[in-house]
Amino acid sequence: MDKNIILTLFNTLILLFMPFFVIGIIKKTKAFWAGRKGVSIFQPLFDTVRLFKKDRTISSTTSWVFNFAPVVVFATTLFAGLFVPMANCYSIINVVGAFVIFSYILGLGKFFALISAMDTGSSFEGMGASREACFTTIVEPAFFIILASLIALSGNYTFSSIANIIKSSGTFGILIVIMAVISLFIMLLTECSRVPVDDPTTHLELTMIHEVMILDNSGVDLALITWASGMKMVILMALITNLIIPFGSGLKAGVGLFLLTLILLAVVIGTLESAIARLRMSHVFEFVFVMSSFALIVASLAAVKMYGI
Amino acid sequence: MENFFIGIIALFLGGFISLLIKRQNYKLLFVSFMTFVATCFCLIDTVRVFTSGKLSDMLSFGVMFQNVVFSIDYLSAFFVAVISVMSFLAVVYANGYLKDYISKGKTITAHCFFLPMLIVSMLLVVTIQHALAFLIVWEVMSLSSFFLVIFEHENKDVIKAGIKYLVYMHVSVIFIIVAFVLFSIQTSSFNFAQFADAYSMNSAMANLVFVLAFIGFGIKAGFFPFHNWLPDAHPAAPSHVSAMMSGVMIKTGIYGILRVLTFISHPEVQIGYFVLIISVVSALYGVLYAISQHDIKRLLAYHSIENIGIIGIGIGVGMLGLAYNCPVVAVLGFAGGILHILNHSIFKELLFLAAGSVYTKTHTRDIEILGGLIKPMPKTAILFLVASIAICGLPPFNGFISEFLIYFGMLKGLMIDNILMFVVLILSIAGLALIGTMAILCFTKAFSVVFLGEARSKKASEVREDTTISFIFPMSILALFTLLIGIFPQFVFDFMLKPVSVFVEGCTSDVAQITSLMQIISLSAFALIILVLGLFGFKCLLKNKSEKYVTWGCGYNKPTSRMQYSASSYASPFITMLTPMFKKVVDIKKPKTIFPHDAHYEMRMEDVEEAYFLKPILKSLEAFFVKFEKMQNGNIQQYITYGLVFLALALICVVILG
Repeated sequence: MDKNIILTLFNTLILLFMPFFVIGIIKKTKAFWAGRKGVSIFQPLFDTVRLFKKDRTISSTTSWVFNFAPVVVFATTLFAGLFVPMANCYSIINVVGAFVIFSYILGLGKFFALISAMDTGSSFEGMGASREACFTTIVEPAFFIILASLIALSGNYTFSSIANIIKSSGTFGILIVIMAVISLFIMLLTECSRVPVDDPTTHLELTMIHEVMILDNSGVDLALITWASGMKMVILMALITNLIIPFGSGLKAGVGLFLLTLILLAVVIGTLESAIARLRMSHVFEFVFVMSSFALIVASLAAVKMYGI
Repeated sequence: MENFFIGIIALFLGGFISLLIKRQNYKLLFVSFMTFVATCFCLIDTVRVFTSGKLSDMLSFGVMFQNVVFSIDYLSAFFVAVISVMSFLAVVYANGYLKDYISKGKTITAHCFFLPMLIVSMLLVVTIQHALAFLIVWEVMSLSSFFLVIFEHENKDVIKAGIKYLVYMHVSVIFIIVAFVLFSIQTSSFNFAQFADAYSMNSAMANLVFVLAFIGFGIKAGFFPFHNWLPDAHPAAPSHVSAMMSGVMIKTGIYGILRVLTFISHPEVQIGYFVLIISVVSALYGVLYAISQHDIKRLLAYHSIENIGIIGIGIGVGMLGLAYNCPVVAVLGFAGGILHILNHSIFKELLFLAAGSVYTKTHTRDIEILGGLIKPMPKTAILFLVASIAICGLPPFNGFISEFLIYFGMLKGLMIDNILMFVVLILSIAGLALIGTMAILCFTKAFSVVFLGEARSKKASEVREDTTISFIFPMSILALFTLLIGIFPQFVFDFMLKPVSVFVEGCTSDVAQITSLMQIISLSAFALIILVLGLFGFKCLLKNKSEKYVTWGCGYNKPTSRMQYSASSYASPFITMLTPMFKKVVDIKKPKTIFPHDAHYEMRMEDVEEAYFLKPILKSLEAFFVKFEKMQNGNIQQYITYGLVFLALALICVVILG
């Protein structure tokens, strides 16, 4: 078979099914550090399958928006994933300026997630939506700064340009990649609502961000939304992976290395969640702002690399 | 050109004959018909220009206006098309919107006269190529829109907003006059054709003239810090007038800037940065204040500032592309900017019209007391939602296409080997991304507080949708436009290349690359829509039951509408983060005594620019002019003396200088 077809198939499979395993691995890691045995890493998959079979309870306040939004969230995340370079730095839809399209498609999903939360007329869900919208305004510009700087460095407008930085820019490239990875990692923690920004296992509505937005979703809707948020995590992990691993090795090595890094990242997140507690809400903003600082450092380093001092 | 002139005459006839019609509702119907005729004729000429090139004609009016050139080049044709179609849709909407006013016995004679006058003057502004005649129609445009704004002149606030608008427009015209005078001194002509390259030898003068013109036209367009009339005038005006003003009229300011730019064929780097930076600041400022507003039309007015900023970013990038001799950057920048003019006029008009439909039913612009309108007004809600998604620049609607072109232009600009350009562009890219996310914050707020959840007041719970054709038809057409441009960007981009060719030519290979990129975007938009609809169909086919129950409230089963998140609480985390950017005005009356009654709390965000920049200037001006109060004492003999002294001085001046 053609190499591209294999990679397309592989990437689609990764995009669709890796989310469950990544979340499973995070849970397993946390259980390990807590000295428990923990659930099987297949448990998130089983949960989702079960949710698909369940009946729903919907709020009588809601309108068609609430019914429609989970579908949009899922579809946009899946579709945005097609633009992202995954194993072997291969993206299924490889176009110039892809990162803009990617971000705006995710933005559409976020728009619907926000209005769906507001549709329930619940103060909790409104609170989650308002926080989520606010964090997006901090995260997104930083993401654009990083990607634009990397594009300027590599001279290539496609998304996969980010993979070449470490190879082509020497020691400077390593520095830039470290900064970019830290920044993207903070983005991952924020967008996928992990500790220290948000705690997905918390029980108190007042401290939640993402989880509180979906309090009223159940059954199929909940399954689609959790699946989509897992998918978003895999997408962001893939970006980080592509930044740190210089591909170019063969098909099997590339694919294997990619999977290995994803698993490693999941373990890192699990360890991090066991080691630190979530921040107080007022400090979360400061934490997320750190991403912008690192993004600006990436931009400055890129400028220095391109134009000298 | 004949068709265009027939259109102009039709509009004039519409205005004057409507004065003679007795029945109020027939007046408007007649005006709408004449606008329709004019739109058709104007479109014929636009199509002719786009197929076979520039049209022009020369007319003379008296001694002052010998050989006034009217011409429609690609740029004018684009504006003529936008103005005529958008104005027609707004006038159709007016038939429904003004019904309530007519039944209450309000006369709309003046309104029906000034509506076609505004359209005529806008059409003439974009076609006249003669400085003096331009200034006259520009003034007619400002005046007729002023009379349209003060439709509800019984209301003091409306008059106040109208006067403010009028003052701003006249400050604007001063700058434009100075710029034009500088041109005509250099060329000793009033014709725009001669203005071209007037200052090609003198770049400092060229920059000065451009900045003057930019300030003059920028006041009309609503660039920061000259934007202050917008958030007052739009809420004061009836919805179709706000739609026309925000959707079309402020774009004549952009037209002015672009036209002056054609006189300076090769802009300097400095003015490119000037336009780019002022545009990024405008856009950020506009959307920031939009988030803090609770008056739906004020919110939309601030969004106009934001979108004018985005258009300006496109133009600024285009100018930098020209200045650095990088045609592909210029093409992308101008194409994005000009396309955003079209896009903004579509979705902003749709938003204003939808907001107007809500206003006619609820009689309030305060979104804090609305809510749950999606159930009684499903059509308006879906139209508002489409426009909201489009204005946030999200695919698959039209806003995304223009923003993408601008982004891509900036990314290409990063390759220009210049560190200043790199820094400015990186920050502009981040700025545009920030603007986009802030717009999402703002419009999720506006849409969900108005249409979703439970009704927050009795007013909002007793609404019934008005589905007469004059409401639904213009809005559906506009919604269709937003979608069509979003899913067929390749054709729209090809079409945009014509107005762009006024500024920059060549680079066919890059254009081909962009066109193929647009095709991919088009396919992606289709794929996304199919994916969403397919999944939704699949979900509907699932046999799972669903049960209705009250919203989760930690076990509390009797939620009320007052428990919902409100507009201010939704925006609160963001506003708190940026507190120094606002001037918070709190109007509070605390409850007193043991059985309190009559408590009141109101908080609003006032414009920092107005409070800390404009007001001090006006105060010092006032303090200066108060000194002349003594001269105006009502004594007629003294006034005659002033006249005599003045005449004597004038005579002396003439004798000495002559």
